[in-house]
Amino acid sequence: MSWQVKRALAYIAEQPRLSAQHVAGELIRIEVEDQPDVFAVISAVNKVDAATATSYRQEHPEMDFLCGYRKTCVWPGDTIEYLQRANIGWGSAGTLTSAAFDGEANTASHKTYFFPDRLLRQYGRVKELSREYDRIYRVTLKTGTVLKIGMIADYEPNADAVRSLWDEFGPVDIVWNINPNGSPSLEAIEAGIELGCEVVIWEELKERLRTA
Amino acid sequence: MTAGEIAAHLLGSCRSLKQFDAYMFGSTLRGIGEDVDILVVGSSGDALSQLKQELQAAGEFLPLHILYMLPSEERRTNFVTREKCVQLGLVMVAAEI
Repeated sequence: MSWQVKRALAYIAEQPRLSAQHVAGELIRIEVEDQPDVFAVISAVNKVDAATATSYRQEHPEMDFLCGYRKTCVWPGDTIEYLQRANIGWGSAGTLTSAAFDGEANTASHKTYFFPDRLLRQYGRVKELSREYDRIYRVTLKTGTVLKIGMIADYEPNADAVRSLWDEFGPVDIVWNINPNGSPSLEAIEAGIELGCEVVIWEELKERLRTA
Repeated sequence: MTAGEIAAHLLGSCRSLKQFDAYMFGSTLRGIGEDVDILVVGSSGDALSQLKQELQAAGEFLPLHILYMLPSEERRTNFVTREKCVQLGLVMVAAEI
């Protein structure tokens, strides 16, 4: 049994009303009181590309949810589209357990990015949204302005978080601290200025989108 | 792996850690948890880039969640005290006792 499956089973065993068993390979079955069982693949990859997701689905057609067990796991936009079309939930271990509790494993998406995604999609000045990665969006406003936005979920994003986002995903116009209680450090804002982007919270982003 | 074993593994695998202050915090110190929270405090630059590579290799079979902070950020947030971070060396030694 792989290390991440062992850890996932141990993690789920700590959760009330949940139990889980190893099925085969990276597939586990989660049993929840008053909800359908969930078949989930627990992956240790750093990036779940579309080929990887397709391979998991071929190997385990019963898969309800694909879990990227590493907190740093990255989900490209085409993978997300593929999984959503296939009625397979995706995201972190925390997303998996929440979705299992709610009986929504097949439709769940990474809970870290769920509300920011909704905020952007429902913001009236946004004309078009292209999700390049779980945390990277290309936003076309009704004015025609195009902005690339990167998200950081930390409570207190620091300079390294901003630089790492830039290094990993390329230049962005805006770094959005999506933690609702978050507050970027002064060093994070300064790192953004050095790189050439703004580091903002939602209220500031709204204003930026309103005036861009 | 226990918290002590993880600390020993990281200290043994990542030579560049000597140039930084490294801590463990969060649920791994109390049990299994979802992932392994590590705090690294130090300057950015080549040494940090090297350390990131070493930690990525060392974390191949571990769900490491690593937070990198500048010393000024740690001082401002008082993160080590607030999150009850424990130095990796102490985590390792405590496990050996």
